[in-house]
Amino acid sequence: MKLEMLNEIIQKKSSSQNFALLTNLTNGNSEIFEFGKLLSNDFESYKKQIENYHSLKKNGVIDGTQIFIQNFTKPIEVIIVGAVHIAQYLVDLFKNLNFVITIVDPRKFFITDERFPNVKIINDWPEEIFKKLETDSNNALITLTHDPKIDDPALKHALKNKFFYIGALGSKKTHTKRCQRLKESGFTEEEIASIHGPIGIKLGGKSGPEIALSIVSQLVLESNKLLLNSKK
Amino acid sequence: MEKQIKRTILEQGRDWFESDRKVILARVIQTWGSSPCPVGSNMIVNDKGEFFGSVSGGCVEANVIEECLDLLKNNNSFKQLEFKVSDDNAWNVGLACGGEIKIYIEKINS
Repeated sequence: MKLEMLNEIIQKKSSSQNFALLTNLTNGNSEIFEFGKLLSNDFESYKKQIENYHSLKKNGVIDGTQIFIQNFTKPIEVIIVGAVHIAQYLVDLFKNLNFVITIVDPRKFFITDERFPNVKIINDWPEEIFKKLETDSNNALITLTHDPKIDDPALKHALKNKFFYIGALGSKKTHTKRCQRLKESGFTEEEIASIHGPIGIKLGGKSGPEIALSIVSQLVLESNKLLLNSKK
Repeated sequence: MEKQIKRTILEQGRDWFESDRKVILARVIQTWGSSPCPVGSNMIVNDKGEFFGSVSGGCVEANVIEECLDLLKNNNSFKQLEFKVSDDNAWNVGLACGGEIKIYIEKINS
């Protein structure tokens, strides 16, 4: 493989694009595939199968050929509202998984570079931030402040924009009140039920790192379900 | 404070190449039965035998590195390797899990 190709893959990965690397195993030629891109003679005649594998995010040697396809998938973008202690553990746990993290908090003393040295942070109200951020079903939201004036606008935005995962920290009692407020704002029972609250799978732990682990586990579980469904 | 970005396997390969090391990329292209690393897993190896990433749970890495170093000595630019479980050398290069994997190794060149 040419260094040029390696650099192109690194660049595309860091700008979070969906693409695939094709390799002809008989002559060693490699090429980048994206929907709509013209392919060279090495790969053009297999275009239909390549497209099929790429839409299913399936890696492998394409049946009946000597073409290997390796897909690079856009990571899920997780927005964490609340630069609290649990958010610090979340950043640690997400580090080796295919997620991009943004932490949002209007409270300046929480959201500092010292507390979050290796992650994108935004010091503003969720309402303001979501006016500028482009979001869709590739996003996940985790709210951690359990303060309605910070969490609620984020939850409403996530419901309206069909985030694939929405989780809200807070006790059952806090969550019941939260659901009531959302109902009063016009959200349907079904929409409200799609929020994971209280957040996380039941691991039985109460400490910060354990709660963070239960949240990350739930998000990974949901993202894998998403991938499995797309393969059906 | 400067934000650090996690170094990936491919970035490690590029950095080695740019500091004048010879570099090989190894990728899992096919698996049968149980295998610890899914298709698409990769590992980068340099001419000093240093490596980053993985292509199995530690079962065949040593052998893959050896093959990479061999490839650097000849004119071919790529090679396919196949590993199966075997009673004779299951503790050396075989896959104790009973799986089979095919690995594609290739030189990075300018």
